[in-house]
Amino acid sequence: MNRHSLRLPFSPRHLVLLPLSLVMLLPLAWMLITSIETLSETRHFPPHLIPAGIHWRNYPDALDAAPFGRFFLNSTIVTLASVAGNLLFCSLAGYAFARLRFFGRDVLFVALLATLMVPFQVTMIPTFLIVHDLGLVNSLGALILPNLVTPFGIFLLRQFFRTLPIELEEAARIDGCSRLGVLFRVVLPLSMPALATLGIVTFLWTWNDFLWPLIVMSSTNEYTVQLGLASFQGAHDTKWPLLMAGNMMALAPMLIVFVVAQRWIVQSLAATGVKG
Amino acid sequence: MIARLLRSEHVAGWLFVLPAVVLIGLFGIVPIGWSLLLSFQHNDLLTPPTWAGLDNYRLLNNDPVFRDSVRRTLVYTMLFVPISVAGSLAVAMLLHARIRFARFYRTAVFVPVATSTVATGIIFNWLLEPTYGVANYLLGEVGLGPYGFFQDPDQALYSIVAMTVWGWLGFDVIIFMAALQGIPNDLMEAAKLDGSGRWATFRRITLPLLSPATLFLIVWSTINALQVFDEIYVTTRGGPLQATTVLVYELFNQAFVFFHAGYAAAIAYVLFLATLVLSLVQLWIGRRSVYYTS
Amino acid sequence: MKRLLALAALLTLVVAAGGCGGGSSSSSGPVNVVVWHGYEDVEGKAIKDAAARFNATHPDIHVTVQNYGNADYALQKVLTAIRGGSYPDIAYLYGSWAANISRSSTAVDLTSLTKQPATKWDDFWLAERQAVQVGDKIVGVPALVDNLALVYNKKLFDQAGIAYPTADWTWADLRAAALKLTNASAKQFGWAYVADASEDTVWRFDALLWQAGGDILTPDGTHAAFNSDAGVRAATLLQQMATVDHSVYLDNGNGNYANLFNSNKIGMLFTGPWDLSGFPDVNYGVQVLPGDQNHQTISGPDQWVLFDNGSERQKAAWTFLSWFTSAPEAMRWSVATGDLPIRASQTTLPSYQAYVTKYPGVAAFVDNEQNAVKARPVIASYSEISQAMGQAIQAVLLGKASPKDALDSAAQQVDQILAQGQ
Repeated sequence: MNRHSLRLPFSPRHLVLLPLSLVMLLPLAWMLITSIETLSETRHFPPHLIPAGIHWRNYPDALDAAPFGRFFLNSTIVTLASVAGNLLFCSLAGYAFARLRFFGRDVLFVALLATLMVPFQVTMIPTFLIVHDLGLVNSLGALILPNLVTPFGIFLLRQFFRTLPIELEEAARIDGCSRLGVLFRVVLPLSMPALATLGIVTFLWTWNDFLWPLIVMSSTNEYTVQLGLASFQGAHDTKWPLLMAGNMMALAPMLIVFVVAQRWIVQSLAATGVKG
Repeated sequence: MIARLLRSEHVAGWLFVLPAVVLIGLFGIVPIGWSLLLSFQHNDLLTPPTWAGLDNYRLLNNDPVFRDSVRRTLVYTMLFVPISVAGSLAVAMLLHARIRFARFYRTAVFVPVATSTVATGIIFNWLLEPTYGVANYLLGEVGLGPYGFFQDPDQALYSIVAMTVWGWLGFDVIIFMAALQGIPNDLMEAAKLDGSGRWATFRRITLPLLSPATLFLIVWSTINALQVFDEIYVTTRGGPLQATTVLVYELFNQAFVFFHAGYAAAIAYVLFLATLVLSLVQLWIGRRSVYYTS
Repeated sequence: MKRLLALAALLTLVVAAGGCGGGSSSSSGPVNVVVWHGYEDVEGKAIKDAAARFNATHPDIHVTVQNYGNADYALQKVLTAIRGGSYPDIAYLYGSWAANISRSSTAVDLTSLTKQPATKWDDFWLAERQAVQVGDKIVGVPALVDNLALVYNKKLFDQAGIAYPTADWTWADLRAAALKLTNASAKQFGWAYVADASEDTVWRFDALLWQAGGDILTPDGTHAAFNSDAGVRAATLLQQMATVDHSVYLDNGNGNYANLFNSNKIGMLFTGPWDLSGFPDVNYGVQVLPGDQNHQTISGPDQWVLFDNGSERQKAAWTFLSWFTSAPEAMRWSVATGDLPIRASQTTLPSYQAYVTKYPGVAAFVDNEQNAVKARPVIASYSEISQAMGQAIQAVLLGKASPKDALDSAAQQVDQILAQGQ
């Protein structure tokens, strides 16, 4: 270690990470504070950052305002189905694009990627028509099916799979393993960080999706959490404390999933290099 | 013969991608085809459409509003992509160490990504409010400002860049973090033993090994940046004086405010083609400079 | 190859089937009527109650009410539903959508229904009747009416030693008071204006334009008229107050002005009854708008539109709608929600007194409805006209263009829009 360097009692990384984290956490702090204020306290600008009292009532009140239990159930079903579907189908497709040579592979890859390039505001109407003709309007299927596999996931996993040393897969093939077996027994176990990332991101997007569920759902029974939260936003007046309490409760599962899944993304930093 | 065919790599490849192709084909490609059709029509989605041929595209060519929105979108993209990818790489490198509170930092960086756009918009509206906002207050303390931010036509787009970088940084960081896991530690050890300094190690080992993830993020961020909308919708609404009217905002305006859905679809298609070309270029460059270990 | 054929077949199927759909009427049991609305909270409860009471007294009809999300996204949902063939029987439409949605063949022409004496069509305020008339078709039933009045903070007026606004106030009075009420070091403004170039920006200007004797379009509707001297005078007032006096808080469309007013940071607002519940901490007064040649105001009515799901459902839907908008039901609604009476005769009902007592300030708005004599053009291209005007006014407020130049440039654009017109 360079004797002339400044010796801090802690890693210099904290000097950047701490202020950065505080900036990133600002919305959460504001949401939390608003969620424990009364409605009239929120009718101030600039916002009061130190609430007069802690008004926990907003949380049960938010849950009572609409059948949030049902909404949470719907959101959970849709999200888990999307995550499972994406993990499975994107793995299959991503592996094929990464390792297999088949007719039309590169053109197909670009075609799939291209579906991301037309804004949703335009595609939502024909998508609605399709869902309508499949008889799925106002059902959870309408939320699950279109998002069961995404080009994002395929692209992500393709990139990750290609960074793995191919020798392991070749060895497994020589040992008589089927291609499917190679994928499931050799490649996927080595891809936990990528899979965890895809899982988190899919969870996030499905959980937070608002516009598509709004378009395709018409009865409150099938609402997701985001649609339920929208009920706190009136045309002229928004009930901020309830909305923020609701948002906090909706945010909680995502943060929990992230904190838990973190460890698959950040495997031991002291792991030795040889895999398999 | 059949058995051999079944075992061929071509069939295997297609079987692997089949579920994705069917689903994305139905819900992705079909709508895009329909949208193409829409762009050749005068259609308000309410009355029977009339055939327009290439009229919408010809109008686009002469439309200064469209041209301006293209320019703004490009400015936004050229700022957003490098800043967010480079910035998130830096943050991911900082987090890639055994330091205390690492979990806290990682979660904190992720929070903006998980926060709804509405909440983010409200926060930034407050932070950047010219008279009462925190930003001008803090800047005033060090003798700077006050700035108009969202209210100043010359600053609004840059303020949106700042807001979206803040909102998406964590996403890129996670991807980089996952990618950093794939770099074998013994490689780093070997480099250190060889006397390689930190920066040199980063440039010669880390960066190339991260290049698949970097390519992914550049392509992905570009596609998204070209379509930025939600954050603008909850803050500046395309203003002030159209300073933040980007392509998709103009598209939304045409379709859902003016009821010119056919024209909006034409805008969407120009955007689509531009994005496709840009992505192909990026992928092609990637093919030559991205380093895959295999 | 087979895949392509399958996809093509599916596409054909989708396109062909895309046209059909819509509700089917039941041959037995009560007729279903589906109502889409954007009500939340108090109003949301009120409409559920109304539906329940109607269902109890009309066993042959069953009304279901559904919230379609707030205004920001609702239009996308409604358009998609219409295009997708899966639309309700009645929908609450914001005023600006009417001219366009009414062009769909799914929207029912109500002209003959409104001529029925039982409807008492002329009992609705003039502004409402103007807003639902597209050409010579009547496309909706009034759902909500409001207007702009001057809402002021009594405490700030007292502090500055100014007398409260009277019904004779002129633009000069407004400007002088705003200046006196502005205190830069205390970050206090005399007036607020929504400057996001949206309709919110335009409609306040419209009131000033009309007060000065101007009009938005020429009588034949083929050219812009807002860049007349009257318009330039109105825009100049805004320019002077915003860029010279600096007495105006420019709200960027996110509604901060309401919270600021409630925090005693703004002295006066041009706003409507919907904002009043957001001022619990202010002792406010309501007065007619400060005027020029007159004290005209502008009204922003919303409406119920009927969609065609078959004649049986149409009839049932009309039965519900005429019941719901009858004077006694409408008064009940006003008392429950604070919304202004949609019928002039409601002011003679016994519960009217209870209504004005329950909602302070509301009586002034009801009286002000008499001042809403002109309406914005109810034509399909209005949103484009609005955008041109909004951007011009925003430019003036930000000091980036002179009133004459901005309005002339907008007028040119509007003339083009009208020339291409539908």
